[in-house]
Amino acid sequence: MASNPQNIRRLNKATRLRRVGRLAKGKFVSSKKVPEVLKQIIEPGDILCLEGDNQKQADFLASQLATLEKKDLHDIHLVMSCITLPAHIELFKKGAVKQVDFCYAGPQGKEVAQLLADGKFPVGAIHTYNELYARYYVDLTPRVALIAAVQADRAGNLFLGANTEDTPAIVEPTAFSDGIVFAQVNEIVDTIPRIDVPADQVDLIVEAPYPMHLTALFTRDPAAITDVQILMAMMAIRGIYQEYGVQTLNHGVGFNTAAIELLLPTYGQELGLKGKICQYWMVNPLPTMIPAIESGWVKGIFAVGGEVGMENYTAARSDIFYTGRDGTFHSNRAMGQLAGHYGIDMFIGATLQIDIHGNSSTVSKKRITGFGGAPNMGCQPLGRRHPSKAWLKVGAESRPGPGAIPGRKLVVQMAETFQSGRVPTFVEELEAQDSSIKKALQGVAPVMIYGDDVTHLVTEEGIANLAACRSIEERQAAIRGVAGYTPVGLKRSKKQTQDLRSRGIIRLPEDLGVAPSDVSRSLLAAQDIKGLVRWSGGLYNPPSQFIDW
Amino acid sequence: MEKFAKSFPSKPLSWPRSKKWALAGVVGSGNLEVLFEPNTKSPDKMECHVESSIPGYKDSWLAALEDFASNYSVGGVKVGIHDQGADPIVVTLRLRQAYDHLIQKTP
Repeated sequence: MASNPQNIRRLNKATRLRRVGRLAKGKFVSSKKVPEVLKQIIEPGDILCLEGDNQKQADFLASQLATLEKKDLHDIHLVMSCITLPAHIELFKKGAVKQVDFCYAGPQGKEVAQLLADGKFPVGAIHTYNELYARYYVDLTPRVALIAAVQADRAGNLFLGANTEDTPAIVEPTAFSDGIVFAQVNEIVDTIPRIDVPADQVDLIVEAPYPMHLTALFTRDPAAITDVQILMAMMAIRGIYQEYGVQTLNHGVGFNTAAIELLLPTYGQELGLKGKICQYWMVNPLPTMIPAIESGWVKGIFAVGGEVGMENYTAARSDIFYTGRDGTFHSNRAMGQLAGHYGIDMFIGATLQIDIHGNSSTVSKKRITGFGGAPNMGCQPLGRRHPSKAWLKVGAESRPGPGAIPGRKLVVQMAETFQSGRVPTFVEELEAQDSSIKKALQGVAPVMIYGDDVTHLVTEEGIANLAACRSIEERQAAIRGVAGYTPVGLKRSKKQTQDLRSRGIIRLPEDLGVAPSDVSRSLLAAQDIKGLVRWSGGLYNPPSQFIDW
Repeated sequence: MEKFAKSFPSKPLSWPRSKKWALAGVVGSGNLEVLFEPNTKSPDKMECHVESSIPGYKDSWLAALEDFASNYSVGGVKVGIHDQGADPIVVTLRLRQAYDHLIQKTP
């Protein structure tokens, strides 16, 4: 007889499920009994995973969890991708959480900043998505996971629909470590279109009284794209996409990259770039990609999540998008992030603040947001071994030493020098470096993309090739050189900027063959959402907030 | 409302005979209008007149105009700017656009 049993978790899981007993019929729980069931399956000290990223959340289960009193819910170690709902904030206000490890808090950023200031936000660390999923398999394995699915069948198999998102990354480590997986579903049906999570990884299921809410987070209305964004898009296409022959890439979700997507079938076509750039993507099914797809630019797109309104379009374009045997769209956040880390030659995205070293962050004292997935893609993957033309070219420009990887991923930050309201994007020091923020994070400032990883900076002033800079001072001068008329930009030395320009480290629109007089909204392949619908042959169904006709 | 005028040294521009002026942008919220007109009196200076609905950005304006005057040959040009809260980044774009319109050969 072993005096030191090594299967306590399994016995403990059985005890918890026994406590649930008649509150459930088999795996199925009625929605009214959810608070009582949660009380029985969660114990103080548990690592509790509440599914929720920027797009999809187990919103009903979160709301029911938030109804529990502190005597029934306390000392919880909460792990979750995104703090997005008021119910999430409620758990902190109640004092139920002893520690939280998360990635992103976009919509609740202000509340999180307030909780932090009040000492009610016991944060372990802010992670990137795959970093947190990785820890689910190491030291943050959930005892209980509350997840969301579209449908369950009578056996308890789950269908996740277009928005698979985090679900598999949460379910696997939980289910295979004797944790409890509790799923909310929109409906329970006899037959589901395809099995995304097998029943034997699911312990409890509730049909939620309302379907989980999905936001069209990645829909950008072409009507809102400005002349300046078009200028930057033209510069990026010539100075980076064409220059390096970028074939595999990820786009952020801002208007700058939306402008690029809409210029491919027009400006890109004129430049003869079809087939030479942008064939393979790791990106959500962005409506602004429709014209490029319809014009035959794109060979494949893998996504971390879905996008509301793109269901019929993606199903009809199954050569481009990943689809299940039922014919509908499939995504996977962990695998998408992995693809974006290792599989692509370029990440291009926007940010709110960039410092003189090229570090960027979206965190401010009043808004603690976090990172999400950008850093998994906007970084140099040190484990990469497969070469490509673009990867080797940037690598050569950065002159790697004898002990360094020969290639580099293009990590491009694209930002206007001023945000709306005339707030400068370029700053001497990031707000994320604030001592109160660092103190809460064990001394580490929440930097989204590190300057050492950034290879290029695109602003309306020009492109700075940071990878080619020879010293920290030179990189600073290159950043100031494209920082326009922000206080950071005004400090540049004209002579040094000229010198960098003559060496091709700074390139202005005229150096790239981009004429400002050509900048026109008429270059966009679609002028508005209606134009995207037309391009899709009526397959794209924009959500009502985007319909103005 | 902020209003100021300043001249910047710039290489002389040979003003195309076919054109009386060049215009870029419109006076509208978040936008601005740039008007180039010939100014034969000072051929080695770009003379600027700025009217902005939002005060407090004179330094940025002056720096942008000075750079433009030194990067392009716009001596002998009178630049009139009517700004209605355009982001500073729009200023350089409109200046370049007006310049391009001016020197473009009309077919």
